[in-house]
Amino acid sequence: MGEVIVITSGKGGVGKTTTTANIGIGLSRLGKKVMVIDTDLGLRNLDVVLGLENRIVYNIVDVIEGSCRLKQALIKDKRFPELYLLPSAQTKDKTSISPEQMKKLIEDIRDDFDFILLDCPAGIEQGFQNAIAGADRAIVVTTPEVSAIRDADRIIGLLEASGIRKNELLINRLRIDMVKRGDMMSVEDVTEILAIDLLGVIPDDEQVVIATNQGEPVVGEDGMAGSSYMNICRRLLGEEIPIEDYMKPEGFLEKISSFFHRS
Amino acid sequence: MSVHSVFVAKERLKNLLISDRIQCTPDAADRLTKDLYLTVSKYMEINPDHFDIEITRNDIHIKYAGENK
Repeated sequence: MGEVIVITSGKGGVGKTTTTANIGIGLSRLGKKVMVIDTDLGLRNLDVVLGLENRIVYNIVDVIEGSCRLKQALIKDKRFPELYLLPSAQTKDKTSISPEQMKKLIEDIRDDFDFILLDCPAGIEQGFQNAIAGADRAIVVTTPEVSAIRDADRIIGLLEASGIRKNELLINRLRIDMVKRGDMMSVEDVTEILAIDLLGVIPDDEQVVIATNQGEPVVGEDGMAGSSYMNICRRLLGEEIPIEDYMKPEGFLEKISSFFHRS
Repeated sequence: MSVHSVFVAKERLKNLLISDRIQCTPDAADRLTKDLYLTVSKYMEINPDHFDIEITRNDIHIKYAGENK
């Protein structure tokens, strides 16, 4: 039976969709059969981040309303071994689906996949309730900013109140230079405040923007964000991989290597 | 800038989370701290500089006499 993970944050714009896409692709590259579901009704984006926007015929609302079969709505990403997208509806709103319908959809499909990842909309209204309805566990995405951490704290409270106990934190867009000079909260600062387990840290990396521009993943590619996302996927599979130490002073070899990589 | 902005961020966040978690205004959180201080001070010698409360979602921790600092 597959594991159902919701990727949520409260605040918008912290990287939920990018995270869903990269973890989905990473897990499929590690040999797992993965379904990613965009639950943000009316603001469909996961298809765009994955570069699959031209292949949508049916969407999640069509499946739930019974206008099509699940197989007709699923988009298989041919670049990766076993990755499927169930896209959101762009012209419907959050009330087109109920948490019960969502739960049933997931129960119907969970035996066919190793992982089902749910990309949650921002906010704490019905879209959030729909997204978490069928989830076993959650990845709470935040950035090291006051507003994002505040919202993450609220979300953790709501997840626990809904009976989802396995909640892990992903700190996104860490600016190592700013942490070093005391102008950004560090990983320790954030984990001290949000007392849940840390799943991973993604350093701010322009490769993410470049990849997203092209509808391609960073996971598994060279670079800090690519390897951090891959480590997160391995941790989800139960491997013991320590959180990367981005604060250690740059060694001589790294300095030389980054000198030669500049161009 | 004389103070690193990360200290300001942490202080603001701490106050926000206290009022979010007990669902009251920052002002009410301040009054709660004061009332708790007055209550504790009835029973033991404490100094306001060494008194602090920390509110998590499950507990209220009272720190005094510079412990846990």
